[in-house]
Amino acid sequence: MKVAINAQQNAQGAPTGTGAPGAAVPPPSMRQRWRGSRNLVPALLFLGLFFFAPLIGLLLRGVLEPVPGLGNYEQLFANSAYARVLFNTFSVAGLVTLISVLLGFPLAWAITLVPNGWGRWLLNIVLLSMWTSLLARTYSWLVLLQASGVINKALMAMGIIDAPLEMVHNLTGVVIGMSYIMIPFIVLPLQATMHAIDPMVLQAGSICGASPWTNFFKVFLPLCRSGLFSGALMVFVMSLGYYVTPALLGGAQNMMLPEFIVQQVQSFLNWGLASAAAALLIAITLVLFYFYLKLQPESPVGNAR
Amino acid sequence: MLLSKRVTAVLSASLLTLSCQAALAADSLNFVSWGGTTQDAQKQAWAVPFTKSSDIKVVQDGPTDYGKLKAMVESGNVQWDVVDVEADFALRAAAEGLLEPLDFNTIKRDRIDPRFVSDHGVGSFFFSFVLGYNEGKLGTNKPVDWTALFDTKTYPGKRALYKWPSPGVLELALLADGVAADKLYPLDLDRAFKKLDTIKKNIVWWGGGAQSQQLLASGEASLGQFWNGRVYALQQDGAPVGVSWKQNLVMADFLVIPKGAKNKDAAMKFLANASGAEGQAEFANLTAYAPVNLDSISKLDEKLAPNLPTAYAQDQVTLDFAYWAKNGQSIANRWNEWLVK
Repeated sequence: MKVAINAQQNAQGAPTGTGAPGAAVPPPSMRQRWRGSRNLVPALLFLGLFFFAPLIGLLLRGVLEPVPGLGNYEQLFANSAYARVLFNTFSVAGLVTLISVLLGFPLAWAITLVPNGWGRWLLNIVLLSMWTSLLARTYSWLVLLQASGVINKALMAMGIIDAPLEMVHNLTGVVIGMSYIMIPFIVLPLQATMHAIDPMVLQAGSICGASPWTNFFKVFLPLCRSGLFSGALMVFVMSLGYYVTPALLGGAQNMMLPEFIVQQVQSFLNWGLASAAAALLIAITLVLFYFYLKLQPESPVGNAR
Repeated sequence: MLLSKRVTAVLSASLLTLSCQAALAADSLNFVSWGGTTQDAQKQAWAVPFTKSSDIKVVQDGPTDYGKLKAMVESGNVQWDVVDVEADFALRAAAEGLLEPLDFNTIKRDRIDPRFVSDHGVGSFFFSFVLGYNEGKLGTNKPVDWTALFDTKTYPGKRALYKWPSPGVLELALLADGVAADKLYPLDLDRAFKKLDTIKKNIVWWGGGAQSQQLLASGEASLGQFWNGRVYALQQDGAPVGVSWKQNLVMADFLVIPKGAKNKDAAMKFLANASGAEGQAEFANLTAYAPVNLDSISKLDEKLAPNLPTAYAQDQVTLDFAYWAKNGQSIANRWNEWLVK
């Protein structure tokens, strides 16, 4: 059985491996594909019992409480406040993704370009920030950004501003804090993609007469596409479900969907509405995740080969 | 042979521990509160003396989570025996059938301030929302009452208000708009939100006590609505912070027993002890929250007593927990709508 799995992995891994291109290996037959799937039973059982069953129970509440029907969904879509919460969620996630990409791209590039030892150091710094407690990092931003914080004091001392800038307890604070937290998630896939790009390709581009800009936009950027897309989608999806950072750095008027769900679950015990909102978040995430998988070269739904 | 001996040994050992746990369980109860200094004080003032006198062990757990409480009661597997909750939640949860009725043969109801006791809950402590201000920011210009919050010319800077749709903010807006204290309920929501609209851009919201202290002490907010104990703690630390008790708004925490609690009888005894004159006075002395027991007032620390809501009863507005228990959800809908507008 084990041999079979290994063989299958080899077969699937081949297209990205060093040797034969994808066409050389015939796609595994259905039977081959499902060989050894019995080994999955314990894991599936565990997931089914402890993950899917409660999840389904949760989603059922959305249509059963307080009365059976779609009342919760109706309330969710009819109320302008909730529409606004949804809009906030998407615009914050979009903004965070954009900023993470704009900052993460040069960083990933720098990590790839600098001599080997330095690149690893840079990467370690990025990783290290990821391992530090989320709460500690969020509070640090609070200390930095507040009216009497380091940044405002420094800017005022230098005479650049007269009154402290409002950078926290509003949208600015949320976007700064979340972008910072999300950058590693875009740098890692991007760096992996960039690392795999053969520098000769770029050289070939410039030999053929491409200006640096053309080379970047016509050669380099398309080659980074898969890493860029998968990283950006991951950041976007994660941002949609983020709770702690918006709760601490945001103002009440920028409420996002996760905070709304927490409020309904914990304060008002209105689990029906909370479950409807959670279902909406799951549905959106699943749709996006499907696209994410599509961009992965080795995924079952992928078409990027 | 050896193996089977081992198996028997392991089995009997585990059986032994099981029976020990069962024996222990009869003499212990789980106490759940909000953590931090409040729960530390509750442990010191209530749990430790209670265990000494009754031999019932008190296991500290937390933080309070209404969602968890409901889930426990619904599933019939109730791990919590005594829970510290907000007063309006205590009344709402009782109406939803989530709480055990209290045994007032054990708990002495007649010595407890009637504002802070119901059939399903007894006061844990009470406190006031007071007008706190940063003296460094406002200088000699001392605000007197809630109208100061809405007077951005005389008192510039941000206003710190409590973030959740719960008793307090709407009431102070109405009071500042000239509504008489005894005519507050039912709340005129349109009027309250209209008043709050005038300072919406100047509000900075706080969600917890530590955050409120940080806002006030740093001057990020020059004035606002705060829990009296938190302002007192800042003053003790030497922060340039002043307080006005005019129209202080009283809010309370209740102790409740979830329906189906495993150690109900022990829990009743614990409540009797915690709401007693000694327990309440001791807790107040540790935290600067006020005692719900009428006999505790004489037992308060002399230095502390003038800093408690009990000393400002004459100009006090007690928030209507029952009104909020009934209307909280619909007010919250309006509140969220107004916030994100």
